[in-house]
Amino acid sequence: MAKWAFWMSENWGGRKWAFSVFLGIMLLHSLAVLLFTRGFLLTRSELSQYSQCDDISNSPCFPPPPHDQNANTSCWTKPAVDRLVIIVLDALRFDFVAPSSFFAEKKPWMDKLQVLHELASQNRSSTRIFKAIADPPTTSLQRLKGLTTGGLPTFIDVGNSFGAPAIVEDNLIHQLVQNGKRVVMMGDDTWVQLFPHHFVTSYPFPSFNVKDLDTVDNGCITNLLPTLYREDWDVLIAHFLGVDHAGHIFGVDSTPMIEKLEQYNEIIKKVVGVLESQSGPGGLHENTMLLVMGDHGQTINGDHGGGTAEEVETAMFALSLKKPPANLPAVDSQSCQQDMHGRRICVDTIQQLDFAATVSALLGLPFPFGSIGRVNPELFSLVGDTLNPESSNSGGDQSLSEVDSWMQNYANVLCVNSWQVKKYIDVYSSLSLIGFSEKDLLHVSELYSQAQELWSITSKNFSQDKSQRSSASLHSVKRQLDAYSKFLESVAALARSNWTEFNLRMMGIGFCIMLTSLCLHALLIKRLDKLCGLRSCFSGYSTSFFGVIFACIIVLIRAFSFLSNSFILEEGRVAAFLLATAAMLRLRYAIMKKKMLLEAIAICLLVPLLRISIELGQLKQAVNSLFLKVDPSKTLGIDNNYLFWMYIAEILPLLALMIVAYLLYTSIASCSSQSMLKYVIGGTVFNYMLIAIHWASDSTLLSLHMFLGGEKGNLIPQVTYAGGLIQLSLLAIDQLIVRQTTLNWEESTIVKVLALLSAWSSTIIVLSGKQGPLFVLAFLIGGWCLMRLMRLEDDTKNECCGSSLSYALPVTQWSLLAVCMFFSTGHWCAFDGLRYGAAFIGQKTNPFFRKKIHVRFDEFNLIRQAILLTIDTFGFSDILPIFGLPLLVVALMQNSSSNKQVFSMRLSQVYLMYGLIRAVTITFTMLCVAIHRRHLMVWGLFAPKFVFDVIGLLLGDFLILLSSLYYVL
Amino acid sequence: MQQQVQQSKASETKYAAVSFASPLKVLLLHLTCGLGLVSGFWLALNYYSLTLVDNSAQTLGIVWALEAAVVILVYSLFRHNPDQCSYVKAIARGLLGLPVGAVVNALGAIVLGAPLGIQHFKKTVHWSLLMSVFTFVPAASVFGSSWTDWHRIFAHTKPIGSTDFMICLPAHGAVIGAWFGAWPMPLDWERPWQEWPICVTYGAILGYLVGMVVSFGLSAFHNRRLQVKRD
Repeated sequence: MAKWAFWMSENWGGRKWAFSVFLGIMLLHSLAVLLFTRGFLLTRSELSQYSQCDDISNSPCFPPPPHDQNANTSCWTKPAVDRLVIIVLDALRFDFVAPSSFFAEKKPWMDKLQVLHELASQNRSSTRIFKAIADPPTTSLQRLKGLTTGGLPTFIDVGNSFGAPAIVEDNLIHQLVQNGKRVVMMGDDTWVQLFPHHFVTSYPFPSFNVKDLDTVDNGCITNLLPTLYREDWDVLIAHFLGVDHAGHIFGVDSTPMIEKLEQYNEIIKKVVGVLESQSGPGGLHENTMLLVMGDHGQTINGDHGGGTAEEVETAMFALSLKKPPANLPAVDSQSCQQDMHGRRICVDTIQQLDFAATVSALLGLPFPFGSIGRVNPELFSLVGDTLNPESSNSGGDQSLSEVDSWMQNYANVLCVNSWQVKKYIDVYSSLSLIGFSEKDLLHVSELYSQAQELWSITSKNFSQDKSQRSSASLHSVKRQLDAYSKFLESVAALARSNWTEFNLRMMGIGFCIMLTSLCLHALLIKRLDKLCGLRSCFSGYSTSFFGVIFACIIVLIRAFSFLSNSFILEEGRVAAFLLATAAMLRLRYAIMKKKMLLEAIAICLLVPLLRISIELGQLKQAVNSLFLKVDPSKTLGIDNNYLFWMYIAEILPLLALMIVAYLLYTSIASCSSQSMLKYVIGGTVFNYMLIAIHWASDSTLLSLHMFLGGEKGNLIPQVTYAGGLIQLSLLAIDQLIVRQTTLNWEESTIVKVLALLSAWSSTIIVLSGKQGPLFVLAFLIGGWCLMRLMRLEDDTKNECCGSSLSYALPVTQWSLLAVCMFFSTGHWCAFDGLRYGAAFIGQKTNPFFRKKIHVRFDEFNLIRQAILLTIDTFGFSDILPIFGLPLLVVALMQNSSSNKQVFSMRLSQVYLMYGLIRAVTITFTMLCVAIHRRHLMVWGLFAPKFVFDVIGLLLGDFLILLSSLYYVL
Repeated sequence: MQQQVQQSKASETKYAAVSFASPLKVLLLHLTCGLGLVSGFWLALNYYSLTLVDNSAQTLGIVWALEAAVVILVYSLFRHNPDQCSYVKAIARGLLGLPVGAVVNALGAIVLGAPLGIQHFKKTVHWSLLMSVFTFVPAASVFGSSWTDWHRIFAHTKPIGSTDFMICLPAHGAVIGAWFGAWPMPLDWERPWQEWPICVTYGAILGYLVGMVVSFGLSAFHNRRLQVKRD
C-alpha cells in the first residue's frame, strides 16, 4: 500500500499515470453506462410460450364448427380466407393512399395510387382503406416484429436494427408454419433475418443500401407475378423498399418518390388483375385476400423512427376476392369523402397492434401467444365467410339474420381473443419479475370477469333455437361486443403505458457510479492543482475565479436544460447561445484589457455563423438525409436559381480547402524539426488537393466529367481513407520508435497536434461533403481565437501559471464549440440524424447506376460502414476537439518557463476537466431520462439523446485515453 | 500591481471632483424614467390599442420613442462638466447615441441567437432601439464621448458615485434581464409571448426596473457613507 502511494506521488502526471487514470475513468464510465442502460433500455420480457391449436378447448368460447373436408385447418376460429397476399410498402404514408380530399391541401405525392381509390369506390363491401396506426419506435424491424407478434416491441431492439435477430417470441409466421401453411417471402431481407427457417421459398434482397432505390423492388416485381399463378403457397409476403429509400435520399416531395408511387400503382393494378382473373369458383384465388400495407409512415424529409403523427400514420388497403353477401354491420369509425373524380371513398382506422390477431382470426390460426391486439371488426367483416355456415341460408329476413349471425360469430371470435389476451396477461405477470401494477391488473380482471358473466348469458342465447331469437338478442350481442372491446382496449392501454420495465435499482446504481466518477474527476483536478501550482499567487485570482464560476454556471445551465424536452430539441441553439454569451464576456474582458480585440470579435462573429448553420440543420433539409452529393448551394442556404450563387457555392468549399491546406503548409514550413510529422502534414495537403479535384470533377458547373467520371469517382475517397490510415499508423510508429530528444517541447507538441488533426481531417472532410472544409476552417478559427484569448489572462498573472482555474472557462468554451460543431454539421441526436450516406462515400453504388436493374454491390462491409458513420457523426464534435485540446495548454504555458512534468500535469488536468464537463452533461441526461421515463416522448426524444450522449461519452473517453498516450511526455 | 493601485487612486481623486447627485434626485430621475416607460405602454394600449404581444413592433416603437425623450431630457441634466457642455449639446449626444447603441445591441442579439429573417427585421430594430435607450443613451447624454468613463462603466463595471450608479446598474440590469428573458423562448408552451422579442423585452424591462431600484438603494447608501466620512 505504501509502495503504491509512493508510486502515485512519484509519477503524478507521467504517461503511465495518465494512462491508468484515464483508463480507470473510462472503465468507470462504461460500468455506469452499462448498468444504467440495463435498467433503462430493458426489453419487455419475451415469453417463450407458444399458442397451440388445442388450447381452445380450455376456453369458455365455442370451438369452431368442425369443417367437413379439411377439419385440420380449422383451429381456433373458422378460417375465412384460404390464401393471403401481403404487399408491404415500406414507409407508406397515409396520404399516399388516402384521396387528397381527406387533406387540407393537395400535395404532388397524393393520389398516385389511383388503383386503390378505384377499387375502394367500386366494391365497397369487399374493399377497404384503413388508416393504420403504428406504435413507436417506427423503424422497419420493430414494426415487422410488432405486426407479426401482435405486441409492442421495445426500444432496445433499435440497436439491433442493422443486424436483425430472429424473433424468439410466438408470432404469426410461426403459427402459419406450425399449422401447415406455406409462406413465400420476397423483398426486404430483414424478414429472412427475423424468420430464418420459416419460409418455403424466399427471394431476399439486401435492404441496407439506402442509395439503391430499385434492387429490392425489381426483385419483388420479377418474382411476384409468376408466383401469383402458382399454387404451392398459402401466404405471400412481398416487401417493397423503394419508397422508404426514396424518402431517405430525396425526401417525399421529389420526382423519384412520385415515380416510385406510380410504379407501385402499376404493380398493384397487375396484381389485382391476376387475382381477379383467377377468382372464379374453383379458381386459384377464389378465397384470397390482398393486403397492401405500410409498416410505418415517414416525415416529409423521409425520416422515421419517432412517434409523430406523420411517422405513426400509415395505410392499409384490404381487398377480399370473395364478395361478402351483403353489407355487414355499419361501422361507426368510418369517414367518407368524395375524391377528385367524385367517387365516394371511405376510410377506417386500425391499430397495427391488432394486425396479428385479425389475420390469425381470418386464417383460422391460433393467435400468437403474446398478442394483445383485438380482432378488428372492419377488417374481419370484409370476408363473408366469417358467417356461421348453419345460419347463412335461413330464409325470411335474410339481411337482418346475416348481420345477426355475423355479430354472433364476431362475439365468439372476440371471446377467444379476450381469453387469449387474458391468459397472456396472467402468464406474463406471474413469470415476469416486475409485471403490471396490482391495481391495473385488478381493473383488467374485473373487466374480463364482467364480460365473461355477460358471455354466459349471451352464449345461452346463441344456443337457443333460432326462431326464438329476436332483435333483443342483437342488442345483447352488441353489449357483449362492447364488454369485450372495453376489456381489450384497457389491456392495450395498460400495455402501452406500462410496458417499458425500468429497473430503477440498476439505474440508480449506474447513476451513483456516474456521480462517483464526477467526484473522482474533481478530486484529481484538485490534487494535480496542488502538485503543480506550488506557488500560490493571488494577483488576478479574482478574474479567473469569476471565470470558474461562470464556467460552472454555463455547464450547469446546459446540464439542467436537458431536463426539458424543448431544450433537448433546441440543444444546438442553446449551446450556441451559451457559447455566444461566453464569447461576449471575453470580448468585454478584451476591451477591459485593451488587447486581443480582433480575436474576441472573430469568435463573436463565428458563433452566429455556426448558429445559422444549426438552424439550417434543424430545418432538416435534404442535406441531412442520406445523400451526400447534395447541392452545396442548399448547404449554404442559397437559392439555387442564381448562377452566381451557384458558382460561389461551388467555389467556396474549394477556397476553404485551399486556405486550410495553405495554413497547414505554412505551419510545417515554419517549424524546424520532426521530419516524420512533416511528411504526415504534407500528405494531408496532398489529400486536400485530391479532394479538391474530386469535387471539381463532380461539379456540374465545371465540365470536368471527362477526367474522373463514373466509377473512378470512388477512387479518391478511397485513397483518402487509405492515406488517413497510413498517416495515423505513421504517427503511431513515430511515437513508438522516435523518442523525444528535443528540448523544445512546446513546438514539438504543436506539431504533433497539427499532425494528428491533419491526419484525421482529410477523412472527415471527405465524409462530411462540401460543407466539410468550411467547418474545418471555422473550427480552426474558433480554436485559434480561444487559444489566443487564453493569453489574455496569462499576462495578467505575469509568470505565475496559477491554478487550474484559469483553464476552466476556455475548456468550457472549447466543449461548447464542439457541441456547436456537432449540430452545425447537420447532425442531431436522433437516429434519423445520422448521415447514413456518409457510410457509402467511396462505394460503387452511385446514382449513375440507379437506373440499371442489377446493381453490382461492393463487398457488403458492415464494419467499414459503421466506422465511417462513426467518424462522420463524431468527427467534428469529438475527434477534432479532443485531439486539439493540448493547444490550449501550450498557449497558456508558452511564456512560463515550466518544465515537462508540469506541462504533463497540466495536460492531464485539462483532459480531466474536459472529461468532467462531458460527464456532467451525461449525468444530467441520465437523470432526465430517469425522471422522464414515463414521458410521452421518451422513445422519440429522450432515449435517442441518451444513446447518442452515451456513445459520445465512451468514444470521448477512449479518445482522451489515446491522446494521453500520445501527448503526455 | 502598484501601477494599478496608483491608477485607481488617481481616478478616484479625479472623479471625487464630480458632483454626486443626491439620493432624492436619483429617486426622481428613476421615477420619471419608470413613469415614461409605463406611460409608453399606456399610450400604446389606450390611444392606438396596441399590445406588446399582438403588435410588438409598433408598441415597441411607441415605447422607445417616449422613453428616449424622457431619458435624454432627464439624464442630460446630470451631464459631466456642465460648464463646458450645454444642455442642448447633451441632448444631441443622447440622440446620437441612440442609433449607435441600437446597432451594438442588435449585433449582440444576433450573436446570441436573435432570428434573422426579414419578417423579424422590424421587431429587431425597435427592440434594439429600446435597449439602446436603456443602455447607451443615458451614458451618451452624461459622458459624451469620454472613453475612460465608458470603459469604466461598461468594461470594468466599476461605478463611482451616484451618477455612475444610475447609468450603470439599470443598463446592466436590462442586459442581464434580456439574457434571462430569452430562456422561455424554446419551450413548447406555444404562448404568443414566447415569440421574439416579446419575452426578451419583458426580461429587459424587469431587469431595468430592478436595476433602478438597486441604483437608488446604492446611491442612498453611498450618500450616507459619504456623510459619515465627512463627519
